[in-house]
Amino acid sequence: MARKAKRDLTVEEQLARGPVDLPLLMLTLLLLGVGLIMVLSASYATAYYDPKTDSPLAYAIAQTRYALIGLAVMYGVSKFNYQYLRILSLPALIGSIVLLALVPTPLGVTLNGAQRWLKLLLVAGPTFQPSEIAKIAVILYFAARLSKRDAINKKKVKWNKRTRWGRFCAWLEKIGFMELVPYGVVLVIIAGLLLLEPHLSGTILVMAGGAAVLFAAGISLRWFALGIGVVAGGLWFVITMTPYMTSRVQLWLDPWSDSLGKGYQTIQSLYAIGSGGLLGRGLGKSSQKFLFLPEAENDFIFSVAVEELGMIGGIMILILFMLFILRGYWLALHARDRFGALVGVGITTLFAVQVFLNIGVVTNLIPNTGISLPFFSYGGTALIIQLAEVGIMLSISRQIPAPKQD
Amino acid sequence: MADRLEQRQRKERTSKQLIFRRTVCLMVIFGVLSFIPLGWKLWDIAIVHHEEYQMRQLNQSTRDVEVRSNRGTILDSSGNVLAMSATVYNLILSPLDLINSIDQRKFKDDEGVLDEQAYNAAIQERRDLIADKVCSVLELDRDSVIKRMERTNSQYEVLKKNIEGEQAEELQTFISENKLGYSLIMTPTTKRYYPYSNVASHIVGFVNENGGAYGVEAAYEDVLEGTSGRVVTSKTGAGTEIYNSYSDYIDAVDGNDITLTIDASIQRMAEQALAAGIEKYEVQNGGICVVMNPKTGAVLGMASAPNYDLNSYGTIYDETLNAQAAAQTQREYENLKTQGLKNEDGTPLTDEQLQAKAKNTAIGAALNKQWRSKVLNDTYEPGSTFKSVVLAAALEAGVISDSDHFYCPGFYVVNGRSIACSERSGHGDQTLAEAVQNSCNPAFMMIGQKLGAEKFYDYFESFGLTEITGIDLPGEAKGIDWGREFFTSAEGYLSLATASFGQRFTVSPLQLLSAFSATVNGGYLMQPYVLKSVSDAQGTILHQNEPTVVRQVVSEQTSRRAAEILESVVAEGTGRNAYVAGYRIGGKTGTAEGEVGVYDEEIVSFVGFAPANDPQVIALLYFDTPKHASPRSKYGSTGYYISGGQMAAPLAGQLIANVLDYLGVERQYTEAEAAAADVSVPKLTGYDLDTAKAALKRKNLTCRTVGDGTVVTGQIPAVGASVPGNSTVILYMGEEAPADQVPVPNLKGLTYDQAKKRLNEQGLYLRASGVSYYSAATHALDQSVGAGELVDRGTVIPVRFVDTSVTDAYTPLE
Repeated sequence: MARKAKRDLTVEEQLARGPVDLPLLMLTLLLLGVGLIMVLSASYATAYYDPKTDSPLAYAIAQTRYALIGLAVMYGVSKFNYQYLRILSLPALIGSIVLLALVPTPLGVTLNGAQRWLKLLLVAGPTFQPSEIAKIAVILYFAARLSKRDAINKKKVKWNKRTRWGRFCAWLEKIGFMELVPYGVVLVIIAGLLLLEPHLSGTILVMAGGAAVLFAAGISLRWFALGIGVVAGGLWFVITMTPYMTSRVQLWLDPWSDSLGKGYQTIQSLYAIGSGGLLGRGLGKSSQKFLFLPEAENDFIFSVAVEELGMIGGIMILILFMLFILRGYWLALHARDRFGALVGVGITTLFAVQVFLNIGVVTNLIPNTGISLPFFSYGGTALIIQLAEVGIMLSISRQIPAPKQD
Repeated sequence: MADRLEQRQRKERTSKQLIFRRTVCLMVIFGVLSFIPLGWKLWDIAIVHHEEYQMRQLNQSTRDVEVRSNRGTILDSSGNVLAMSATVYNLILSPLDLINSIDQRKFKDDEGVLDEQAYNAAIQERRDLIADKVCSVLELDRDSVIKRMERTNSQYEVLKKNIEGEQAEELQTFISENKLGYSLIMTPTTKRYYPYSNVASHIVGFVNENGGAYGVEAAYEDVLEGTSGRVVTSKTGAGTEIYNSYSDYIDAVDGNDITLTIDASIQRMAEQALAAGIEKYEVQNGGICVVMNPKTGAVLGMASAPNYDLNSYGTIYDETLNAQAAAQTQREYENLKTQGLKNEDGTPLTDEQLQAKAKNTAIGAALNKQWRSKVLNDTYEPGSTFKSVVLAAALEAGVISDSDHFYCPGFYVVNGRSIACSERSGHGDQTLAEAVQNSCNPAFMMIGQKLGAEKFYDYFESFGLTEITGIDLPGEAKGIDWGREFFTSAEGYLSLATASFGQRFTVSPLQLLSAFSATVNGGYLMQPYVLKSVSDAQGTILHQNEPTVVRQVVSEQTSRRAAEILESVVAEGTGRNAYVAGYRIGGKTGTAEGEVGVYDEEIVSFVGFAPANDPQVIALLYFDTPKHASPRSKYGSTGYYISGGQMAAPLAGQLIANVLDYLGVERQYTEAEAAAADVSVPKLTGYDLDTAKAALKRKNLTCRTVGDGTVVTGQIPAVGASVPGNSTVILYMGEEAPADQVPVPNLKGLTYDQAKKRLNEQGLYLRASGVSYYSAATHALDQSVGAGELVDRGTVIPVRFVDTSVTDAYTPLE
């Protein structure tokens, strides 16, 4: 298909052809590059001692392959006019719910004791996590719906004020509850399906993404206060009333109470970070990756990075993430329309929460939740979807009007 | 319309502003604030707790293998090895690594499915390979080896410890040829060898897991030990080594060698003398024999019985002790049976458990007994041997002189209390020398009175009897005395009386020996020691030990006089059974009860030194509790009179003579001794009788003739034979000397003259030894050639005599 000349394009099309945001692209590539190097370093020992893999480079090669696919996907998505996502968001949401519903069926794949995966072609092909799709689908759907909030709110349903029920509904309408019902239903369905797997970290991320979009869209703060109150109360109840969670919190406060059992991973992570010191042992010289630190190439890759590159290296990575997140919000702030802004906020928050939870876990700031580090942790579908999300961000950035040159 | 548009735009604006505000809010929370705790936590772990975590991390990820240093060698004064270390190997199997060494990938097909049968067969093959070899080389039980191989979680199964020499080499080759180094490991370690096994066991001591436990091994632990080296390597979380990774070597520094003043030959002589006495007198409680250089305090030999084999110090070596342990086990068992002991679960102990418990207790006690050195750890009542110290002290203080006479009526009365002499009928009038020769208790009580309690105790102290000698061996005990306050008080009068003849207090053998040395060596109290020098592994001497003079106690003159008197004790007195011609042995006998108020448990002892004019050797020999023939009998079960003079003196005298010979000290004969010395028989055949007689007279020999010819046709002994002086040569006049062999007659119990006559009848000759002069009370004790044995005519039969008139038995205090 021949490329249309610029003059033949509509304004909409012209906007979509704008330049991508270079800072975000560069930060993404930097993080991805550092991440790949760390996967190589951290996975080397695991692969070397794993009788199932043939080469010590097995993980690194696989991850590089995924990264290349992911970059291609990112480029493609960035070329795709994100305005179409408004329309695609509903099918995406429904699709992801269907996929999530398929996970508990025999089609689901069980790895490491949890049934969270599906095969790409349902019966064959590489595995992927439907929750990854659900995260972005929720953000897109919420953003699409919330960007038309004013229009929706105008179409007021006339409640029959003669009945008590009608008056109650009208009151709910008035305080803004009714508006939240569709979002709540979506979140409850998805969270329910995820908790069924069980997939706590996925649930947290879906909720965080959705909540961020709702928050940015201007939903009254009292609902958030209420939400936070309910979550905090629930957590408090669960922590104090169930022995399982109590022991987990106990373990978080003192990992050495079960140093060879449940506290082992945390302790090994602390050893890795602690022995890194200021400047680290040097790239490739981690000794914790030699089968001491479980999941060294996955959830705990940041510990290996700090052990090898020191606190300086760790801070550098944190700064890269910080800049990436700030740039993401910056793009959201400058987005051409509300949909772009809300999608940007959702995606950026998703990244921010993952970074916070992952590094919080490896430094034992928070109890272990099992969240991977974007661009770093080993894992194919996650990386591709993360890059696709960056692609959406880049697509949004294309339509940001250039600053007026006075 | 415009109004509505404006309203809409305003609404749009406010809504956009709201999104903007909320987004900025999120931006601050997630873009900035959330990184603060992360950064803080990172700083806290990586910087604040850096060292703590790094230390813990290093502990778990490094394998720190100790490389033991070679322990120094212990040598005797002539360079014989008493203790040495050699490298031996422990064979360690890692069943886990054995499985891991079989590459699972080789048994997978293209789809990654494992051919388990082939894989397991490969594991079994390797197991069999190792088990076969290990069992054939080390003679291990194959089943138990296989059983240990099946503990697949284990990485450390010690199959055999202390593998030596060829076995180790064979296994090393096997491991490297079959590339089994991954799962079968030989770790070097050291083992201590004691080539002389039980010789000097108490001095050398042994080594257990914590290092030197007894003797020199313990005393010079820091010299011998050396410094261990280390090999530090990194390992993975699975415990396997990381190859080509960080490793650090710290070389081991070998320990230094120690040369002792002990001479293995002298030590052996001492032990033999001790063992001979223990057997001869059926000694119940062992004994000691210490040989020392009186001038330096260097210990030449130090035997204590019972002793043990250093190479297996955990087994009871001594037969008597073994028998005692068996009896003790039985007693203990009977005792335990009555106690009704119960297991933890409340069931009563079975008979076997009781037996085992009893055995453990008895064996443990016996082991402790055999590890104990009676020289170092025990004290005893010195008895009359202590009189030498009293003599020297009194001479030095000037309270007695050679012209003094002491009258012994058979007892002595102190403050109205009568104390008997060992010679009940009394020694009568005696000079000082005679009083010492007789070991007369009343005489010594008089000397003690003359000295006075205050002075007596002064000398007691300056002879070092209130403090340990400071010998460089662990566990030295010191004697128990009365204390100055009591001794010098009015109530202590009896103590002075009994102390004068060496009773009612104890000293350690070393205390007595060094005090005795001071009385004869010129008056110097020397500190006994066993370390001669320290040298490094190359033989360079690092430290030469010098004798330590503690103090001069008496003058040279006093010491010389005391030595002369003590020489006369052996030449003429109670010590005459220790006499050996040509050695000028001086000494003092002693008989004392081990414990006050206990009967029939005497310690019979003799302290001797030689040559008396220039002492080179001093020896203390004592036997603890020779078996009595019957309770309260003065005779032992084997017929010997129980006293130091009858039991310890003969053996000690011979020991001193042997040691002097070994040391190459020239003999000094008196005229009478020279006459009895050996001469070689001249050629007499072919000469007439007168010429022959003249030739014999020149040689101090006599003759008797057989036959009536005029020319000597045969002689016994043959030309050049060595016979004692004064022997009677048989000259055959006109007859051939008979060439047949004759049986040796039984000489036991005969007097000197009887024995000589009996032998000469057979054409045999007597070489007498054992006493300084022969009287009717001198009886043949034993003969070197047994009765009835056939020997050539003219053979010299050495016979030891003993003077049975020596009456220095223990005199119980009433």
